[in-house]
Amino acid sequence: MSGMKIEVLFPEFCNLFGDLFNVKYLEKCLPEAQRVDTPLSGQPLFVQEAPSLIYMGPMSERSQEKVIAKLKPYRQRLEELIQEGTAFLLTGNALEVLGNSIEQEDGSQIPGLGLLPLRARRDMMHRHNSVFLGDWQGQEVIGFKSQFTMAWPEEKAQGLFPVKKGVGLNPKEGFEGLRRQNLFATYLLGPVLLMNPGFTRSILKAMGAEAPSLALESVVQTAWESRIRDFHEKC
Amino acid sequence: MKKNFLFYLALLASKLTMACLRLLGRKGTNLPGGVAIFLCKDFLGRMPRPKTVVGITGTNGKTTVANMVEDVLEQCGRQFVCNKNGSNVDTGVASALIAESTLLGKPKKELAVFELDERSSNLTMPYIKPDLLLVTNIFRDSYKRNAHPEFIVDILNRYVPDGVKLVLNADDLMCASLKPGNPRAYFSLDPQPGERSGGENIVQDVRVCPQCGALLEWELRRYHHIGRARCPQCGFGSPQGDYRAVSLANGAMQVEAGGQAFSFPLPNTSTINVYNALSAVALLREFGLEPGEIAGAMERTAISGTRYLEEEAGGRKVILHLAKGQNPVACSRAFQNIRDYPGRKAAILFLDDYFDAAHTVENISWLYDADFEFLTDPSVTQVIAAGARHWDVYLRLLMAGAEPDRTAHLLDPEAAAGALKLEEADAVFILYDVYTIPLANRTKERVKELMEKEGEKNERHEN
Repeated sequence: MSGMKIEVLFPEFCNLFGDLFNVKYLEKCLPEAQRVDTPLSGQPLFVQEAPSLIYMGPMSERSQEKVIAKLKPYRQRLEELIQEGTAFLLTGNALEVLGNSIEQEDGSQIPGLGLLPLRARRDMMHRHNSVFLGDWQGQEVIGFKSQFTMAWPEEKAQGLFPVKKGVGLNPKEGFEGLRRQNLFATYLLGPVLLMNPGFTRSILKAMGAEAPSLALESVVQTAWESRIRDFHEKC
Repeated sequence: MKKNFLFYLALLASKLTMACLRLLGRKGTNLPGGVAIFLCKDFLGRMPRPKTVVGITGTNGKTTVANMVEDVLEQCGRQFVCNKNGSNVDTGVASALIAESTLLGKPKKELAVFELDERSSNLTMPYIKPDLLLVTNIFRDSYKRNAHPEFIVDILNRYVPDGVKLVLNADDLMCASLKPGNPRAYFSLDPQPGERSGGENIVQDVRVCPQCGALLEWELRRYHHIGRARCPQCGFGSPQGDYRAVSLANGAMQVEAGGQAFSFPLPNTSTINVYNALSAVALLREFGLEPGEIAGAMERTAISGTRYLEEEAGGRKVILHLAKGQNPVACSRAFQNIRDYPGRKAAILFLDDYFDAAHTVENISWLYDADFEFLTDPSVTQVIAAGARHWDVYLRLLMAGAEPDRTAHLLDPEAAAGALKLEEADAVFILYDVYTIPLANRTKERVKELMEKEGEKNERHEN
């Protein structure tokens, strides 16, 4: 596992909803991995080398535009990394940055990087909040959505989590999030990895960790079971 | 907006609703305002406003400050209408105005003081058009309602009318930058002797210059983004305070304003309450009260016991401390207060959202924006998490570095006091949300019983 690097893109902007604890948890699971924070004013690590994981968390709407502008010159490099199987984890509205476009209330479009086949539409005065239950390779995935947008994928899009209960990419879509190779993008926000041990194991594998073990495994597992039980009883 | 038929119908219906509620012995409800707005959507715009309207908004502290301002005005003999007994959204404001108006809607008082929810400013500000508006601060709050601070800043910039005189926190760059064209007065707390610069908080929502995007340099970062910052690239920085608390001593603050210095008593000396008191002083001075009047009245004001209360039993302290759930900054402040409180402390955490705990699985993301790390200080001898999400709070504590043998967690909040290891603590903090005040009070009584028993046991042992 030595030599693993986790690149966190623009943590000074992409840090809403406690999502950076996804990275802190990965660091706890992989104590030898090196975390590299790339500020918006700096050159991303992925330009020179392929990190074990590239992470980007949720951000404000104005920040989305700054981040898109920053990443635009690296679009081709990002496409290469995706095709080569580099692991990516995008949570919350970070997914939209890599999408085709974000439509605003006035109908104007903010073009995204075009690396994920979906378009998003904002409605700033109507925030969507929900609890989500989905499936990840036969294990239940639980998470929270709190967002101003809904998204519409193209037909070729590969979903990440099939919906068991709750709202997917939009109220009619059968899956939540998108996947391309080892790129995992989800609107679920917060400590997604701390909340879903099964999914976290897959991320660790995608990063190249051999026989990955989870930090605080028994507590993480019991907290997950308690949440899932609560969901089935109450929701 | 002119009064029309719908307005009079709504006013009549709400007055009748109010009369019925009074007959039933119910006060402080938003129902009359809700009825009025249901029948006449722009009721607030058509309702005649008192001659002067003072508004108090912001993420944290607005209820405490509104209570303080109202207490001072009352003690200074001012008559006013306020929404103290109702909510701080449009229906609460409408209910208050309806209650203090004639049958035709004419205001009975010339002054109104309203606590106003910042998120729903679109429903209140354009209609009531405050003459004077205090914004205490802008922080992350409930993700569900408030999303993120930039969203709240945009709402305030859009819906606070031009020309409203603002009283703003100079030590909060987001707050200080609101409505740049409006007249304003700033309040600010000077760096205090021995004050450490923070940097310990997870949430820091102002990292780069709002003008040019360069990384800010901090002269003092008190907590989160509260402090004094400057941009090395374009020179933008925290504005100077018109009301500067220059020193804090003996339960009072020395405030310099307009070249003069005045002393004001502090009901509580924690930093957030110094900011609360300072913002109240700035607002009341801008309103026109004399410093002596304000100081005299503040001598007799106290922070509401539902927000902070210390009691003693068996030689130990039990402290009720409000920590609004789903508000990571409010909880972080409470956690830091626990760490900074003298002696050895235990803490009982009731952090679950009352309604979510009953009906759904609460979004626990906010736990990871709150600084549980303060609770891993060696002076905190035990942390007990109780409620539906106790496993999640326990996991968060472990992620913060808490020792498992110093933590306990259980489903039943009523049993939390029983998990205390009292012999290790000089004080027990109980953290609770606004909807769990009865639970906190019951727990406080149980803790006091245990403290008294422990005190008697120690006394017998000594004899």
